[in-house]
Amino acid sequence: MQYNVTVIGSGPGGYVAAIRCAQLGFKTAIIEKYDTLGGTCLNVGCIPSKALLDSSEHFINAKEHFKEHGIDIPAPKVNIKQMIKRKEDVVKSNVDGIAFLMKKNKIDVLKGTGSFIDKNTIKVTSSDGKETQVTTDKVIIATGSKPTPLPFAPFDKKRIISSTEALTLTEIPSHLIVIGGGVIGMELGSVYARLGSKVTVVEFLDSLIPTMDGTMGKELQKVAKKMGMDIYLGHKVTAVENKGKEVVLKAEAKDGKVLELKGDYCLVSIGRKPYTDGLGLDKVGIETVKGQIPVDDHLKTNVDNIYAIGDVVRGAMLAHKAEEEGVFVAEQMAGQKPHINYLLIPGVVYTWPEVASVGYTEEQLKNQGRAYKTGTFPYKALGRARASMDTDGLVKILADKQTDEILGVHIVGARAADMIAAGVTAMEFRASAEDVARMSHAHPTYMEAVKEACLAATANRPLHI
Amino acid sequence: MAIQIKVPTVGESISEVTIANWLKKDGDVVKLDEVIAELESDKATFELTAQSDGVLKILKQQGTTVPIGETICEIEPGAAQAPQPPKAPATASTPQPQKTESKVSGGIKEMKVPAVGESITEVTISTWLKKEGDFVKLDEVIAEVESDKATFELPAEATGILHIVAKEKETLPIGGLICKIEITGESPVTEPQEKKETAVSASSGGSDKSYAAGHPSPAAAKILSEKGIPANQVQGNGVGGRITKEDAVKAQPSTTKPAETKAQPSQAAPVISSGGSRNIRKEKMTSLRKTIAKRLVSVKNETAMLTTFNEVDMKPIMDMRSKYKDQFKEKYGVGLGFMSFFTKAVCAALKDFPAVNASVEGDEIVYHDYCDISIAVSTPRGLVVPVIRNAELLSFNQIEGEVVRLATKGRDGKLSIEEMTGGTFSITNGGVFGSMLSTPILNPPQSAILGMHNIVERPVVKNGEIVVRPIMYLALSYDHRIVDGRESVSFLVRVKEMLEDPGRLILGV
Ligand SMILES: Cc1cc2nc3c(=O)[nH]c(=O)nc-3n(C[C@H](O)[C@H](O)[C@H](O)COP(=O)(O)OP(=O)(O)OC[C@H]3O[C@@H](n4cnc5c(N)ncnc54)[C@H](O)[C@@H]3O)c2cc1C
Repeated sequence: MQYNVTVIGSGPGGYVAAIRCAQLGFKTAIIEKYDTLGGTCLNVGCIPSKALLDSSEHFINAKEHFKEHGIDIPAPKVNIKQMIKRKEDVVKSNVDGIAFLMKKNKIDVLKGTGSFIDKNTIKVTSSDGKETQVTTDKVIIATGSKPTPLPFAPFDKKRIISSTEALTLTEIPSHLIVIGGGVIGMELGSVYARLGSKVTVVEFLDSLIPTMDGTMGKELQKVAKKMGMDIYLGHKVTAVENKGKEVVLKAEAKDGKVLELKGDYCLVSIGRKPYTDGLGLDKVGIETVKGQIPVDDHLKTNVDNIYAIGDVVRGAMLAHKAEEEGVFVAEQMAGQKPHINYLLIPGVVYTWPEVASVGYTEEQLKNQGRAYKTGTFPYKALGRARASMDTDGLVKILADKQTDEILGVHIVGARAADMIAAGVTAMEFRASAEDVARMSHAHPTYMEAVKEACLAATANRPLHI
Repeated sequence: MAIQIKVPTVGESISEVTIANWLKKDGDVVKLDEVIAELESDKATFELTAQSDGVLKILKQQGTTVPIGETICEIEPGAAQAPQPPKAPATASTPQPQKTESKVSGGIKEMKVPAVGESITEVTISTWLKKEGDFVKLDEVIAEVESDKATFELPAEATGILHIVAKEKETLPIGGLICKIEITGESPVTEPQEKKETAVSASSGGSDKSYAAGHPSPAAAKILSEKGIPANQVQGNGVGGRITKEDAVKAQPSTTKPAETKAQPSQAAPVISSGGSRNIRKEKMTSLRKTIAKRLVSVKNETAMLTTFNEVDMKPIMDMRSKYKDQFKEKYGVGLGFMSFFTKAVCAALKDFPAVNASVEGDEIVYHDYCDISIAVSTPRGLVVPVIRNAELLSFNQIEGEVVRLATKGRDGKLSIEEMTGGTFSITNGGVFGSMLSTPILNPPQSAILGMHNIVERPVVKNGEIVVRPIMYLALSYDHRIVDGRESVSFLVRVKEMLEDPGRLILGV
């Protein structure tokens, strides 16, 4: 078959690129080696993790908060099999949705591993070994990423597990050790902490979610401790060993003290690495750099007709970043000139309370030597938060000292993930803190905390504190 | 012992150089490989580096011309340990030799107008793409600079905060100071810092200036990029002067931004002009415009220019073109236009009348055995004339390909100086704008230019009958000093004959 555009990989980068290409009138094919579409995000990432986070959230509410709300029920029990099954149903309905979108947009779905023969020819090898070939004018590589193992302790998928296995456990661990206090570790750690596991997080750096604003990490640490998690910061893991029934971890603190932990599972969530195995990049002369496919500002590789997007290229490994890049590349191919403002790609952690940010962190502004001011507002002072008993958290606004332009929005608190969109909008239009403070925010909502933090940033004049 | 520094061999055929600038003074302590002087030949400028650490003794002064191999200064090595002469404050009274080189000093990079090409002595800053106080990255394009020949992009020579010295539309000599970059190394700010919003009134009039004035919304940014209009040329009507989607949709590309004379709706109604605007607007001429002006006047004054006319029946060419244009396009990927026919005809006629392809150089006439045809392309910045080299050797498709390539580059302001110099004859087509007849001006030092015009159906007499034919008037302006009337008229007749009977183009008759 002959196509205008062939997309390799059907994650959020790939399938969105394919849809946009089809909308723009390109004859489009998408190649996916797994049975279902949707990539990491829909199958073993964003969607299933959120499904379990929501289920475990309901459980903890029933167990700990119903009573205070005046709902008496017998002590609830976790049915892990049902929980996992519901998660699988959620995944199925989502991946079926993608299959429908492909059909609707007349995109040919080719099942199998895509591999370059030359820059215009791709071989697709299906799981039963059958080979077909497609020719194409342009190619978008969206092959995503895979979990990074510890160099000295590869995933055995039994005791030493990655996020993928953590999403399909059939028992509740009695002690889950999480290596890496980043987004994935904290999210999956919270799932099991709520379901009753003892959870211990070992992080190499001195803060949780270290890439986010320092205040966020500190707040999250408080909440995690409240949940009963043990957190060891500044610890370097030196050994992890599967002893059959248990796993033993050794870590070293900065002062040389050795920490030894025994648990039944060890989740290694130290990052993800770009995935290009079997893609045949050597056939077209693309060389990866630290696993990533190098691209220019147009997301073009060193080969003229080949583009790459999502986790397999530089930048944050986030589904919505991959999606933006998919649209960007497709529109560019149609001669349009879209933009992506990478500074304004929000980051979210779906713990409870959630953490969400956009723009610069305070640390970045300090390093830049930029004159800024800060406005914060705690959830505790918010009527809406008291009503729902979600009083943990705060909103932090960073604004330029002279112009009052908002430079960063950082939220830790209930519904932060949904609220951050308002921060992105404000920053895309380069709103000042006072601009936001002067817009009417419905009462009572969590968003009022943003308005109040903006008042605080503008001239330190919040109303409700 | 003092090390003698001699003028190095800088290139074949260069026998002498002029000391353009001493960057160090007599008695200065210099370091190995430090640039101490700039030397200039008739071809280019070179830097002279110190061949050792030590104290400089200048033997030949600035401005002197010295042969290759001659000693121009000495460096006394032992003295390098001598205390560094006190820096700037102490020497402030003695005028520093003017540096033409960009230099890093104390974290400030001074950016000067680079030597952009032979014969270019000054440039005009056409647009600042970055604002005062912006953070700029090394090699990021910060301004567009215009000379009389072309437009250049000016890349930042360091990473840091931009301090603008030369304003937009200002003209600077080569070596003139354009801006300073306060080197910070890494990105402190990505957005310009201006002063705080002044208007905090309830009115959200489009004109209140704020730090965000001229900031396009995401949709507006995309639309502007697609139209190729820089945001700084668009009046933002959103809050605080932001550029809204509607502003971007309505924006028109223009090189000079008119001062937005928006008609008041109330004034638009009356047809009888009573209170109409009496505004005038003054704008500085760009270097390109100034050069055009200077050249045109000098051509009128210094040549004996006159014009001869003729007309061409375009039917044969048009028939031929409609017959083969699809095949041509399919085979070569370019359209079959009229330019290839005219260029071929002109080249053939130039062979027969070499004076038309010649130029005057002092007391001599320079004849060219090749035909480098300049084609006039109108661009938003003015007329440019890129050259089709050795057009006499090119096939129709090659000519068409060149025309498309050069015209596109011209319109995008991307033509290099080489691409615009050295033509031996010019063709200009006023017909694209609807001109019926005109007297083109010579493109010096060339001595003739062919003017094409619009094709109009006119009644003509053929074999004693009046028929309707597509006619184009042709004009040939020529320098009567070296081209005689017989030659110019015959040349144009020859061109006409070949166009009316394209078979002649093949047979060369
Ligand atoms: C547990 C977890 C939770 C996450 N939660 C979030 C979240 O809440 N929000 C968020 O924004 N991001 C989240 N992420 C990250 C997000 O999943 C990724 O950023 C996103 O999936 C990247 O999209 P992609 O299109 O680049 O690649 P992927 O989604 O990784 O898709 C790549 C696809 O390409 C296929 N493929 C690879 N090679 C070939 C080949 N040669 N031939 C054919 N097919 C091939 C793969 O099978 C895969 O389906 C999470 C990740 C994990 C692991």
